[in-house]
Amino acid sequence: MNENLFSSFITPVMMGLPIVIVIVMFPSIMFPSPNRLINNRLISIQQWLVQLTSKQMLAIHNQKGQTWALMLMSLILFIGSTNLLGLLPHSFTPTTQLSLNLGMAIPLWAGTVITGFRYKTKASLAHFLPQGTPLPLIPMLIIIETISLFIQPMALAVRLTANITAGHLLIHLIGGATLALMNISAATAMVTFMILILLTILEFAVALIQAYVFTLLVSLYLHDNT
Amino acid sequence: MPQLDTSTWSITILSMIITLFLVFQLKVSKYYFPEDPKPTLVATPKPVTPWEKKWTKIYFPLLLPL
Repeated sequence: MNENLFSSFITPVMMGLPIVIVIVMFPSIMFPSPNRLINNRLISIQQWLVQLTSKQMLAIHNQKGQTWALMLMSLILFIGSTNLLGLLPHSFTPTTQLSLNLGMAIPLWAGTVITGFRYKTKASLAHFLPQGTPLPLIPMLIIIETISLFIQPMALAVRLTANITAGHLLIHLIGGATLALMNISAATAMVTFMILILLTILEFAVALIQAYVFTLLVSLYLHDNT
Repeated sequence: MPQLDTSTWSITILSMIITLFLVFQLKVSKYYFPEDPKPTLVATPKPVTPWEKKWTKIYFPLLLPL
């Protein structure tokens, strides 16, 4: 039962070849590059969505922070498209892999922190001590702030992994329960099927929301540091 | 839990880095957002030939006292 449940999260390898490379690169096919002066509808709609999202997300940043626009936009497109494609049956979702999410979170977070250190050293160090703390509390507060700083990339990665994995596991379990209940009692199976439909709608939302949250948090860490 | 099997971590991270930092950014960098077309003035510009401001009698041949 255990092995069967988690088998969709094993990194896919076909006859010794790591096809995970192909799977990770697959969502980029859904976004064709604009090559003409007037593009087709798909590219125009995607351009419009990217413009909408980037205006919303980069409004809080100053000049220096807005140089990260390309990074943040490709991040939200990558995570969103990967999560949405993972809702297809029997597909492998790369964002369920802790390795991928750690590989995204740690360099991006480290980039924001190092940017802050380079350009505003005093201000970024001052984040460790909130204003107006009483004198005896200072050592403990610095330790707490340091821990909360270093936990940021871990939380980013684990949040994304856990949310998407848990959603996929729930869909597997409830789908299996619906199938098993069909022979026993059709009414209960119908109820379980309704739950499955609601859960799938939730998972669509979660796919997009998680992409947004990841990108928003990276952008917040950037805002603190530019 | 198969996500904790570190043997596959390097290939996954490598493929993610290629996709995120190369492929997606090349595509998104080609997006362009043209400016909105500016409204142009409909009124005609002021003529700069002051000698034609006033029609005089000689421009009406039928009114010449001949």
